[in-house]
Parts: sequence; C-alpha cells; structure tokens
Amino acid sequence: MFSTPTFDELNIWAALPMMALAFGTCILLVADLFIPKDKKVYTAVLAGIGLGVSLLIALLQASGVEIGDKSTAFEGIFVVDQFTHVVNVISLMAGIIGIMVSYDYLERTGTERGEFYTLILFSTLGAMLMGSSRNLVMIFIALELLSIPLYILSGFRRPMLESEESAMKYFLLGAFSSGFLVYGIALIYGATGSFELVNVWQTAVDILEGEGAGQFTLLIGIAMVLIALGFKVGAVPFHMWQPDVYQGAPTPVTAFMSVTAKTGGFAAMLRVLVTGLAVVSASQGKAIDVWQDSVQVIAVLTLILGNFVAITQTDLKRMLAYSSIAHGGYILIAIAAGGTFGVGDSSAQAALVYLMAYTFTNIGAFAVVIALERNERNTITLNDTKGLAQHSPLLAAAMTIFMLSLTGVPLTAGFIGKFFVFKAALEANLEVLAVIGVLGSVVSAYYYLRIIVNMYMIEGDAHPVADKQPLALRSALWLTAMGTLILGILPYIMTDLARDVTLAIVGR
Amino acid sequence: MEITWQTIAFAAFAVMTLGGGLMVVISRNLWHSALFLMLSFFGTSGLFVLLVAPFLAAVQVLVYIGAIAILVLFAIMLTRRMMGLEETQNTQWPAAAAVAVILFIILVITVSPLVDEKAVTDIFGDKVANFNANLPVDPDAKDSGVVANQDLNIVTVEAIGEALVTRDGFVLPFELASILLTAALIGAIVVAREDEA
Repeated sequence: MFSTPTFDELNIWAALPMMALAFGTCILLVADLFIPKDKKVYTAVLAGIGLGVSLLIALLQASGVEIGDKSTAFEGIFVVDQFTHVVNVISLMAGIIGIMVSYDYLERTGTERGEFYTLILFSTLGAMLMGSSRNLVMIFIALELLSIPLYILSGFRRPMLESEESAMKYFLLGAFSSGFLVYGIALIYGATGSFELVNVWQTAVDILEGEGAGQFTLLIGIAMVLIALGFKVGAVPFHMWQPDVYQGAPTPVTAFMSVTAKTGGFAAMLRVLVTGLAVVSASQGKAIDVWQDSVQVIAVLTLILGNFVAITQTDLKRMLAYSSIAHGGYILIAIAAGGTFGVGDSSAQAALVYLMAYTFTNIGAFAVVIALERNERNTITLNDTKGLAQHSPLLAAAMTIFMLSLTGVPLTAGFIGKFFVFKAALEANLEVLAVIGVLGSVVSAYYYLRIIVNMYMIEGDAHPVADKQPLALRSALWLTAMGTLILGILPYIMTDLARDVTLAIVGR
Repeated sequence: MEITWQTIAFAAFAVMTLGGGLMVVISRNLWHSALFLMLSFFGTSGLFVLLVAPFLAAVQVLVYIGAIAILVLFAIMLTRRMMGLEETQNTQWPAAAAVAVILFIILVITVSPLVDEKAVTDIFGDKVANFNANLPVDPDAKDSGVVANQDLNIVTVEAIGEALVTRDGFVLPFELASILLTAALIGAIVVAREDEA
C-alpha cells in the first residue's frame, strides 16, 4: 500500500525553480551564521545568487525548455504550466530587485541582519507557490509562507515606532484575514467534497444548477476566499491596512511587498476564480455568474478610492501606497473579465502583463524614495521632490519614467499593461468597467504628473541628494528604469511570455 | 427523539463549548477567561469524540489545551498588570455581539442543508454515524486521501498519517508546512532578540 515514489514519478524536476530556491534559502540560513556582522554584503550577494539561479531555470522553463514534464508535479497538487512560469519570473525579479534596493538602506539604518535576506527568499518562495497550486490547502500554506515573512520584515526597523506599528497592524489584520481563507476553504470543501480546483469546478456546476444541498455553502465559501485574497492584494473595502503598513515599513520592504504580495495574491485569485470557479453551464454553453459581479464592484471601488485618496496625500510613500491600491483595481478589471465564458485566458494574460510592468515601475518608484531618504530623513513629502532635476538630473529622469509608466503613457511598460487589461475587459463586454478604468487613469495623471512638475518646474528649497547613489541602489534604479522603457518599446518580450498562458478549463 | 447516552453527552459537551466560549468574552478577569477557554476547547474535543474522530479529539486536547491555552496562561502570568484587571476593556462589545449573532445565523443557514435528517437521527440514534458519509464526495477525488474504515466510518490515525506522506495525498503541503514553520521561527527570533549593541 505504501511505496516510496521516485523523483520521476513525482515529476519533481518540473518544480525545479521552487526546489532550487527552497534549497538555496536553507544554505543561506546556515551560511549567514559564518558571515561576520560587518560583512553582511556577502549574505546579500548569496541571496541574490540563489534567486538568480532560480530565475534562470524559471526563464528557461518559461521560454519553452522542458525541464520535467510540462504538466503537474506531486500528483496534480502542483501545476507546472506557463502561468506558473510567468508568476515565477515576476516574483523572482521582484525578489532580486528588492534585495538590490535593500542593502544600502539596511547598512545605513543599522538594521543589517542576515535574516532579512532569508525572509525575503521565503516570501518570494511563497508567492511562487501561490501561482503554482491548484489545491486549496496548498494555496493556504503558500499564502502564509508569503505573509509571515512580510509581517516580520515590516517591523524590521525596530525600535522605530512606525515600523513596529506597521508590523503589528499587518500581522493582526493578516491573521484575521487568514481566518477568512481557512473558513472559506472549509465551506468550499464541505459543499464540493474536494480541495482540488479541477474537482471543485466539476462539482460546482451540479451544485449551482441543481437543487442540490450546499449552494449557499459554496457561495459563502467563495465569498470568504475572495475576502481573504482581496485583503492580501489590498482591494477596497479590505485595504485599510495598506497605507499605514506601506508608510511605516522600511522603504525597501514596502517596495518588495507592494509587488510580491500582489503577485502572489492575484495569482492565487486567478487560479481559484478562473480555473476553479469559472463555472460553465453545459446545457446553456455559457458561464454561470458566480463571482464576476462582486469582483466588478470591488474593482470599481478600488479604482475610485485608490485614485482619489492618492490625490490628497502629501507624504510620497503614502501616496504611492494609495496608488498601488489603485493599480490593484486595474488587475481586478482583468480578473473580472475572466468570468465571461471564453475570456478566461486573455484575462490571465492581461493580469500577468500588468503585473510584469507594475513590478519594474513600482519597485523603481520606491527605489527613488529610498534614494531621497538617504538625506538622513525618514519622511519624504511631495515638497521634497521640488527642484530635484537641478541637483540630481538622473534621479529625476528615472522618477519621470516611473511616474509616466504608472500613469500609463505610451512607450512605457505601464501603457502596455493597461492596454491588455482594457482589451480583456472589452472582450468580456464589460465596457463600463473599461471606461471607469480609463477615467481612473486620467485622475491618476493629476498626482503622478504633479511630481514631475515639482521636479522640473518648481525651484526647490534644496536638500541636495547626491546623484551618485551606492552601487546596488544605482544598478536597481538603472535596471527598473530601463526595464520600464524597454518593455514599453518592445512589449513582445513580456507578451510572448504570457501568450501561452491558459487557465480556464474549457472555452479556449 | 429517544434519549440515549449520546444525546446526554452531546448536550453536556455543547454546554461546555458554548458556555465556556461565552464566559471567555463576558468574564472580566482575564485569568478566568483563559481558564474558560480551556473548558471550551475540552468541550470541542468531546464533540469530536462523538463524531467518531478520535484523532482530532486527541489533537484538540494536546495542542489546544496542552500547548496553546497553557501558553496563554503563561503570557497572562508574565504580564503582571493584566492579572488584576477587573473593568471591562472592550467598549465595542454590543457591535461585536451583533456581528457574532449575524455570523451564527449565516452559519446555521450555510451548514443546515448539508445535514440531512438521516444524519441527525443516526447521531442521536444508536448507530454510529459520520457527517462525512452524507457529503457529496466525488468518487474520483484523489485528494481526499483519507481512507475511511467503511464499516465503522472511523478515520484511523494510520489513514491520516498515510495521507500526509503519500504522493497522492498531502505530502507537498506537509513539507511546505515545515518550511513555513522555519520561516516563522526565524521571524520569532528576529522579533524577540535583544540587539547585541
């Protein structure tokens, strides 16, 4: 009855990026013990190498090199498809750039501890696993693996009060939302008898169409899962934690988590909603609307609140926090589109392209904040950007690129992301949603462009920031700025990666 | 409905669970709350026994009473000021109570269609039954993994153990849980460690 499976039976090689990263994290954990306290740069480099190796494998897999079978590993509990590969690439890029922007900050604030990098790696692993599981139990554990390191990283700058407050808020609310997830999973299991999303999908039709018991159970379960994942990605009305946490956490951690938590959360949301619950009625040949309306409402609220409250902010970090809530709204538009029969795949592709563009742009924008903070100050207000172009033109140029990309101006990555999102919405006949999205962009232009105006047209009360940043931070700025531009000019780099993404079980 | 020993035991455990839970929130002394929490956990474990889930019952006692509740007691004892608190701390209790009642109603509506009459008579009758038997289970569902002893409907500890390590079971989540615990452990050290300045 019980036999030890071989590696090939488990198809373990297909999961190589995750295995490599998990293994690398364990090595890093031990290696860090032997690295003296003043040489933590080696820990950072080692962590970067670990992420790099994993990224290399993920990129090979994403571009079509078959490592292991291109299907499932661990008997179906773990899915290896193009979606997995792209999520891996995004999370690993975020991890690498996250480490690049962190090193100098940690050194400067005297919080240089090796555990920082280990926790970043764990969190990245969690985000990768959230994209690759088609099993609700796995999704829960992956979510915790993503979140717990983030709670700790937010409080990494103790005894600074803001940092501690941020960690405490994030932890308490995060634990509360995890409760929702487990409750929802339990109810979905109660209704369908399975954790496996493919089985959930098969049973859900009968439950929703027939008189069968458990219709209400299933719907409440879905609602609870949606709430929990909505919390993770900071969708309105589950966004309350986000501004405070983003503002209080150490800035490199904010940069990292603004991307990684969203990547993981949206990846899981796509898997659960588009694969597991895009219920198609066999008799009518069209989708039964289970969650599309609710996601639409959440998307609209997120767009409106994120964009309008961002206008009123004076603190740059807090403004970026609200802006990142708004960007979650655009990805929610893409997800809502996935509820229409036959649009599931383009919806997933749009969400992934948007996430790729957002990764470079948003970490880049926070990297500029980190550079400004080098001036011995902890809060950067919008006034501090005034006159930036005069004493550090390169930094100002980079910030301009990021702001234009966040607005969605053509020739930047952000435009490509928005283009695909609106295209998916139109394919799904959600014109109203697309229009609200476009209007949201117009509103957002106000507060993004204001920063550009500040930098170039208004004389600053000069707190000069050296244009010459430390090597790691400078490379990160170059990488993100160039990435934002190159992806905007040559979009096929990312659209090719996402083109083969298929999530929906039927209706291709 | 005839009254059997199961009915009496169920009533006793239900009172323990709910009464204990209620006392946790209305008791003004934190120390008493923690003790009532243990009582509530014990009642839950008794309910698991009635549902023929002996393993879960044992885990409930070992983990929740043996570890978590004891930890809560230690935490209260170590924060001396909290021992003597007598005034109500939570000023928003009416709102909290309303939410709890609403949640209870939703849960009743949610779960009640899953429990058919037969299951209820089975539990309150003399036959040993299991809720699981009445759930719509996909026969092809590999992931349930848990092999039930069909005659008695008892999920054995062996079955749970095997489900955790077999490849068509939960081996990957099981391994991942260890990575998760490692991450949490490191986090605990980072949070609690004194700076060696």
